[in-house]
Order: sequence, then C-alpha cells, then structure tokens
Amino acid sequence: MNAWLILAQHSGLILRGLLVTAEITVISAVLALLLGLFLFQLRLRFPLISPLVRGFIDLMRCTPFLIFLYLVYYALPGWGIELDAFNAGILALTLYNAAYFTELFSAAWAQFPREPVEAGLAFGFHGFGLFRRIILRPLIGIALPSLGNQTIQIIKDSAFLVIVTVQELTYAANEIQATYYIPFASFVVAALLYWGLCLIVEAGVRRSLRRSAQML
Amino acid sequence: MTNCPDPRTPRRKAFLLAGLFACMSALAVSHAHAASLAEIQKKGVINVASEDDFQPFEFVKDGQPTGYDVELFNAMSKSFGFKVHHEMIPWTGILPGVTTGKYDIAVTAVLVTPERLQSLGFTSPVAESVDYYVKRKSDDRIKSVADLNGLTLGVEAGSAMLKLLPQLDEMLKKTGGKLGKVVEYQDYPSAYQDLATKRIDYVVNTYLNLHDLVTKRPGVFTLGQPVSKPIYIAWATAKDNTSLLTFMDEKIAAAKKDGTMAALQKKWFGKTFDDLPSKPSAD
Amino acid sequence: MDWSDFSQLLAGFWVTIGVSLAAVCIGVPCGLGLALIRWRKIPGLDGMVATLVSFLRAIPSVTLILLVYFAFPGIGLSLNRMEAAIFVLAVGTMAFDCEIWRGALIAFPRDQLDAAIACGMPRGLRFRRIVLPQITRACLPALMNEISLVIKVSPAVAVIGLVDTTRAATRIGADTYEPLKAFLASFVLYAVLIAAILAAQRLVARRIGAPA
Repeated sequence: MNAWLILAQHSGLILRGLLVTAEITVISAVLALLLGLFLFQLRLRFPLISPLVRGFIDLMRCTPFLIFLYLVYYALPGWGIELDAFNAGILALTLYNAAYFTELFSAAWAQFPREPVEAGLAFGFHGFGLFRRIILRPLIGIALPSLGNQTIQIIKDSAFLVIVTVQELTYAANEIQATYYIPFASFVVAALLYWGLCLIVEAGVRRSLRRSAQML
Repeated sequence: MTNCPDPRTPRRKAFLLAGLFACMSALAVSHAHAASLAEIQKKGVINVASEDDFQPFEFVKDGQPTGYDVELFNAMSKSFGFKVHHEMIPWTGILPGVTTGKYDIAVTAVLVTPERLQSLGFTSPVAESVDYYVKRKSDDRIKSVADLNGLTLGVEAGSAMLKLLPQLDEMLKKTGGKLGKVVEYQDYPSAYQDLATKRIDYVVNTYLNLHDLVTKRPGVFTLGQPVSKPIYIAWATAKDNTSLLTFMDEKIAAAKKDGTMAALQKKWFGKTFDDLPSKPSAD
Repeated sequence: MDWSDFSQLLAGFWVTIGVSLAAVCIGVPCGLGLALIRWRKIPGLDGMVATLVSFLRAIPSVTLILLVYFAFPGIGLSLNRMEAAIFVLAVGTMAFDCEIWRGALIAFPRDQLDAAIACGMPRGLRFRRIVLPQITRACLPALMNEISLVIKVSPAVAVIGLVDTTRAATRIGADTYEPLKAFLASFVLYAVLIAAILAAQRLVARRIGAPA
C-alpha cells in the first residue's frame, strides 16, 4: 500500500498535470472547432479554394499526430517563430484536429434538412446571417456526437505532448514514478483520470443531445 | 448512433470500478523482487538496462550498445559465467525498473545522491563528475554562473542533475540572482537540440557528458562552469541485493587493478579517475 | 541525412509495419469476440466488456504503453519492448473494433437469423455461414479505417525506446542536428503507407456498395 500513500502525498503534481491536460484540450478543441467551421464555410462558398482545403484535410488524415507535432515543434524556430512547447503543442493539436472538424461539419451538412434553409432564404436571410441564425445551432446539434468523439481524440493526442516537454498528465505520472519508483500506482491513476475526462465529455454530449431533443 | 458504449446504470459501473481498483491494489502490493546472485546464476542470465542515448557513458551506435559503461561491463562480463540480456531504454524507466525487479542491475550513469542511497543499492563508483552548464557558443550574455540568473534551462526529467539544481540556485542567490524556468526533457539530445534552436538558454549535465558534447560540436556549444559539488557515478541495483553488489564490486575492483577501467576512462573521458573509493557515498 | 541514416529509417519503418500488422491481426478478431459477448448479452460479462472497452477507448496509447512496459513488471507481467508495443496497439484497436463489429451485429437483419433457426441450423454454423460473411462485408471499410488509425498511433511505441520509424527519425535528428529533415522523411513514409490503406479502403467500399 506504500505506493498509493506516496502517490497521495504528491497528488498535487498529478492534479496539476490533469489541469494542464484539461486546459490543452479545451483550448485546442475550441480553436480547432472554430477553424474547422471556418474551413467548412470556405469550402462551401469558394469552390476555387475547395481543393486547397481538401488537400489540407487529406494531408492531416495521412499524418500521425506525433510526427506532425515534431514537425511543428522543430520547424517553428527555423521560421523565426518562437513558441514554447505548450503553445507549439496547442498549435499542432488545433491545426491537426481542425481538418477532422471540417470533415465532420461537411458530413453533418450533408444530413442537414433543406427546408429551414429555404425558408430562411425566402425570408431574406442570406450569407453570414443565414449561417449564424438558421444553420449553425442545428448543424452543431447534428454533428455533436462526432464532435464529442473528436474531443476525446484530442484528449488522447494531448498525451503525445509529454514527448516535447509539456508538463501534462502523462508527464506528471512519469515524473512521480521516476522519482519515487512507483510506476504502477502512478500510471494507473493517470489512466483512470484520462478515462474520467473522456466520460465527462461523453456525458456532456449525451446531456446536450437530450436537451436539444427536448426542445424539438 | 454515437460510438458511446451502453450507459450501464451508474451504480453498476461504480461497483465494477471499485472491484477493479481493489484487485489492482492487491496486485500493486506484490511485486517481483530483484534476482539475487544465486538466482541469476541459476537462471543463467542477468537482466541489464542502460540508457539509450547518454554519451559518452552509454548510447547506441549502428544498432549496437556502446559507451564507457557498456564497454566496462562487457569487459567484466567475460568472467561472469552467465549470459547478459542488455536493454537500451529511456532514462525514466531504468531506476523504477530496477526497484520493481524488471532489471537486476542498471549499468548506466547513476549519480549517487542521498535520496537514491535510501532506495537503491549502488556498486563501487565507476566515475566521478561535477555538473556543468553548456551554452550556445554565439550567446555572449553568459560569461559566468552569475549570468545564468533568470535564464531558461534544460535538464533531463527524473535525473540527479535536476535534483542538484538547488545547489545552482544557492550559487545564484549569492550573486543576487535566482534560477530561471526549468524545462525537463525525456533525454539530453532533445535538450541540446532546443538549446541550439534557442528555445532554452543553457543545459545542465555532468562534466563528462558536456565535455563529450562540446568536443563533438565545438562550433555550436561552449562549456561553462561548475554548478554543483562533485558527485560519484555508480551502477544501481535493488536496495537489498547484497549478493549481486558484492559480486559486482569484486569485478569492478579487478577491472581497476588490471587497468581495464583506467584504459576505458582514458578512451571515453580523456582522463582517468584514480582515486575512486570502493564504497559509494554522497557527500 | 545520408544513405545510412535513411536505411536506419527504413529499418524503423519495417518495425512500424510489423507492430501495426501484428496489432491488427490480434485486435480485429478479439474485437469480434468482445462484440459477440455483448451481442449475446451474457450477464456479468456484458457489463465487464462494456467497461473495458470504454476504458481502452479513453486511454492514450502513450500512457498505456508506459503503464504496460514500466509498471506491469511490478505486478509480475514483464513484457519486452516489442511485446509491450504489440499488446498496447492491439488492445487499443480491439476496443474500437469491438464497437465496429457491434454496430454491424446490432444492425443485422433479424429475419435471416429467424429463418436459420427455423431451419434448425446450429448456432456455430449459423454464425459462420450467415452472420460472419455479411458483417465482415459491412465492417470492412470501417475496419480498414481503423487500421490506418493504428499506424497513426504507432509512434507512441517510440516512448519506450522501440526503434520504429519515429524513434529512428528522432535518433537521426539528434545525431545530425537536422531533426526537420529526418521527420519530413519519416512523414513521407507514413503518409505513403496510410494513403495506400485509405485508397484501398475506398476501393473496397465502392466494391461493396457501402458508403466509405
């Protein structure tokens, strides 16, 4: 039982790592979502740019996240951009997942009923106003389960950031186990905390779905 | 339909979790113990771990382990009478691996600190060193230890160099400064890379490592000054593995006597340590 | 980056392919097994499998491989690096494969099963001849997508020192002080492999007539 006691004594470190992971996830998810929405709209409105967006998405789909992270991490200084590991990690997570979010929105749009759009057009809504007032909320509603899954993917990808010195949850667990020689307790608790985070996201998605179903 | 699993009733899930946790707690208590010398001789093989990129002590070249520790150990293993199973793994797995019994001995540069003496067994020291810092050659801001005030430094995660940083902090306080941001790396090569690309300002490591680095890359890096007191480097085993420790100490003493150790020190460090004690200590 | 560096990278690439292939060969059938347990609603086991799958889908591969490689020896299960890598990738994909198989099983037309039962077909034969071929066809695109995901997550094995493509690139970058070139080269290798799998997946999806 000694291992768990030691871990409890240093629980502050683990919690700090958990907070960093949560922070990274929230910031990246929000930014990636916004960027994904933007690219999705770009694709729809400007067919000329569409191949570029398609190319970006295909590129991200064919790249392991860790390799993309390394590329971002080591390329930035060469281009004169000085980002510390934390921000470089968020940049990588944002760009990488924005590609997937764009696809998710496109898929949701394919399922989107035409009637509200036509009604909105008939009432004189168009362009950004149409998008913001009529389309956006139901679109997110349709995409919500996939968005939730992608957020879980972001949580899992955030663990790769340990390799570029970001002090998130896996890093915290690794530091404690390397210092106090308690690998089992350390990593099991980290694993359970990741599970907890994912369960929270899934619960959030379920609640939002239920609430939007109630509103219909 | 989403990919969410069936929402079992929350109570059942909690019960399953509690059961799982109880099993794991029970499992975590029992752990494999390190093999004593007799057990190793019976098995016919000793499990060894070394860090996979810590020049000049241990690293991989053309797919083969090499370096001071590796060559010294290989020279000694000729007279072992049992085989060697040698794994090159990242640093953060080595010491925990020794305490949990996965490895019988860590043939890797382990700095002997008071805390480590509490939880690990150490062989006779095989080298001695002092922590230094290394900076970019082009960086004119840093001319002495006092100039390190507030600058960002890189160090290996879970290492004694990290633990010895308070000594550097003391030195800086004396000149009215303090330690800057500490970035922890999974291995030193990553730290050196970030130093070269200006993400960090200096890296702290033992003299022997940094001397090796600066010799290989004189145009990029410059060695600084000491930032810690001298410290011994030895190989680590599980704390109570006295039979294996005695055995290894004999082999180390023999290597000292017949000049193997001095020759390898000369080869890898450029100098010899003639006054290494036979017992590891941390003062 | 010279030829010897590139050959190191290729050697690592073989490891990536080998480990991913092994993981898929273990994960896909085991995922089917788990899905069947849940489909048949075996009491007790059903809940455990659901919990296990939920856990395995949530845990990052990096964390899991650190747990398996460094922590398991403490509880008596010592795996070498290759075994740990294959194990972690396999259980990761197994969890997702389970959900893929389960989707197809749940959607399986009940009337075919009823007809088979009415004809007196024993359970094993029923599964082998009627269910399995059809759900395999239905799942193939999703499974192939999952294979591409295994390769995308395989760099996690570098963190325990297994020399796959990513670890080889890291080493080359550390030796040559040109990490970008090494990672770009490894990126090309991964991208070619993944693109090939995704192209095959699209082909298969079109043949089946199911949406990719």
